[in-house]
Amino acid sequence: MKFVPYVLKSLFRKRTRSVLTILSIVLPFFVICVLGTLLATLDADPSGGKGMFRLVVRHKVSLANFIPEAYRERIAQLPGVEEVTILNWFGGTYKDNRPENMFARFGCEPEKLVKIFDEVTIVAGTAAEWASDRKGALVGERLMKRYGWKIGDSFVLKGDIFPIDLELTVRAVFRGSDETGVYFDRKAVEEAVPWAKGQVGTFWIKAASAEAVQSLPRQIDALFENSSFPTKTETEKEFQNGFVSMLGNVKAVVTGISTAIALVILLISANTMAMAARERVTEIAVLRTLGFGKSLILTLILAESLLLSATGAFVGLGLFRLSFPALKEGLLSSPMAGFAAGMQLFPEVLVTGIGVTLLVGLVAGIVPAIRSARRSIPDGLRQVG
Amino acid sequence: MAEPLIKIENVVKQYTRDTQVLTVLDGLSLTVEKGDFVALMGPSGSGKTTLLNLIAGIDRPTRGRILVGDAEVSAMGEGALAKWRSEHVGFIFQLYNLVPVLTAFENVELPLLLTRLSKKDRRRQVETALGVVGLSDRMDHYPRQLSGGQEQRVAIARAIATDPALLVADEPTGDLDAKSGEEILVLLERLHAEFGKTIVMVTHDPKAAARAHRLVHLDKGVLKEDVRAKGEKGEIGVAAAAAIAAGK
Repeated sequence: MKFVPYVLKSLFRKRTRSVLTILSIVLPFFVICVLGTLLATLDADPSGGKGMFRLVVRHKVSLANFIPEAYRERIAQLPGVEEVTILNWFGGTYKDNRPENMFARFGCEPEKLVKIFDEVTIVAGTAAEWASDRKGALVGERLMKRYGWKIGDSFVLKGDIFPIDLELTVRAVFRGSDETGVYFDRKAVEEAVPWAKGQVGTFWIKAASAEAVQSLPRQIDALFENSSFPTKTETEKEFQNGFVSMLGNVKAVVTGISTAIALVILLISANTMAMAARERVTEIAVLRTLGFGKSLILTLILAESLLLSATGAFVGLGLFRLSFPALKEGLLSSPMAGFAAGMQLFPEVLVTGIGVTLLVGLVAGIVPAIRSARRSIPDGLRQVG
Repeated sequence: MAEPLIKIENVVKQYTRDTQVLTVLDGLSLTVEKGDFVALMGPSGSGKTTLLNLIAGIDRPTRGRILVGDAEVSAMGEGALAKWRSEHVGFIFQLYNLVPVLTAFENVELPLLLTRLSKKDRRRQVETALGVVGLSDRMDHYPRQLSGGQEQRVAIARAIATDPALLVADEPTGDLDAKSGEEILVLLERLHAEFGKTIVMVTHDPKAAARAHRLVHLDKGVLKEDVRAKGEKGEIGVAAAAAIAAGK
C-alpha cells in the first residue's frame, strides 16, 4: 500500500498521454461490452424461463412456405404436448414502409395464445374483449405509446402477402418481453382470403416438461419427414436466433471483432508502457540503487500497467451502464425489438470485459517490466534522461 | 589506527564489448577506514566510477574480494545486495536523480519505504533528514520547483534518510555552479564530521577533492597515488589536489 502514491503519480506523469491511453481503452471496452451484450442476448430468455418450454414448428424449407393446419391434431397427440396454437405472419404495411412503422403483425387464435404465452399480462382492455371481436387487436404497450393509441382506436394494415386491408380495433394491451407486436384473430384473414384457409405459418407448442422440449422436435419432424410439407421444429430461442443468423455467422463475426479490439487495446497499452519504461531507465536504476529489488520493480511497473487498463475498463463500464438504457430503448423501438427484449446488463459480459482488459494490461506491462528489472544498474545510470 | 570499513583486495573488473575484453580495474587493492572522507580522482576512463559502483554493491568485480563492514559484497546475490544497499549505503549522484513526480518529502521517503518503519516513524526520519540539509520548508516542493543546489540537498537527504554508515557520491558538485557546489561540499563535510559518515566521493574537481581527508588517484585501472591529509582533521588542500589531479 505504501507504494500506491508512487504508482499513481508515475501513471499520470505524462498526463495527456495517460488520458489519451485511457480513452483509447474506454472506447474499445465500451464496444466490447455492446458486442458482448448482443452476443449474450442471443442466448438470453426474455420470457423469464417460460420460453424454454415453447417449441415452434414451421416448414422445413423456409418460413415463407405454409404447412397444413391438419398437422395440429397429430402434434397434439404426442406425449408431452400441453397446448398447440397457430401464429401466422401477416406482414402488410402500416402507413408506409419506413422502419419506424415496422412491427410484428400476426394472425392467431386468441384464447390459445394467452395460454401459451402465459407470462404476458393484459394491462388495458381484456383478453375476452379481444377474443370476442373478430377485428379486435391485442397490441403491445410500447407500440401503443409509439402511436398514441387508446383502447377502441382503429388502424389499417394494408396486406401484401394476403390481398386484404385489415381494419383492426385495439381491444387489449399487453405487457411482456417484446411489446411491439399486434395480434388479431387469424379468421379475419381466412374469411377474406379463401386460399389462406388451413394454411399455417407456424405452430407454437407449449411442452409439458424439459424432457419433452428435448424429445419433441425429433418426434414432430419425424412424423412429417416424408410428407409434401416436411417440418422443422426448434425451441423458441433457436427460432428467434434463426432470424439473427440470417445476417450470417453473427457469433463468429462479433467474437472476431471483439478479439481484434482486445488486440488493439493490447498494442496501445503495450506501446504506452514501453514508452513509459524507456523514459524511466535512469529512474528505475536509481530505485534499484536505493535497494528496490527486481521483483518490486516488476510489481510496480505491472501495477501501473494494470491500473491504466483498470481505469479505462471502469470508465468504460460506467459509460456503458449509463448509456445502456438508451441503447436498449433504441433497439426496443426498432424492428429488432424481439431480439432486444432479452437484453440486459449481463454480469458475465461485464466481468469478461474487465477481465480481458486487465489481462491485456498485464500482458502489455510484462515485457517493459522484465526489461526494466533486468537492466544492469550501471547501464541504467549511464543513460541520460 | 581506525577500524577499516572497506577492504578491496586485488579487484579486477573487465567488460566485454563484442569480442573485446576491456579491463577497467586491474588488480586494485585499497582499504578505507571507518569515518574517512576519501576523494577518488583520475582522468576519464580511469575506473573511478566503476570502483565506486563496486564499493556500493551496484556492480560486481570480475575477480577479487570487496568487504564492507562484515559483508563480503562481492560474493552476495542480487537480492541480498539490494537489501544490503538499502540498509548500509547512501547514494549521491551528479544529476541528483530525484523522481520528478514526487515531492521532496516523497523522494526522501523512497528508501524508507523498503523498511518496516511505520508511516509516523518514516515521517519523522524524513523530516530529520530534510532538516539536516536545511530544506524543512521545501518538503512539498517538486524537483522542478527547486534549484540545482536544493535538488542535490534533497538527494543528500534521501541518501542519509536510512542513516547508512557509508555515503558514496559520484561527482556531487559536477552539475552545480560554484556557490551551490560549495554548499554541497560544506554539507558533506558536516555529515562526515558531525555524523561520522564514511564518504567516498568521485570528483574531477580539485576544489571538491581538497575537502577530503584522503585522495586516491587512479589511472588506467590501477592505484597511482594515495595521499592522506596531515593531522587528525586536516584536508588535502586545493593546491595538493590540483597537483595530484594533474599527475605532478
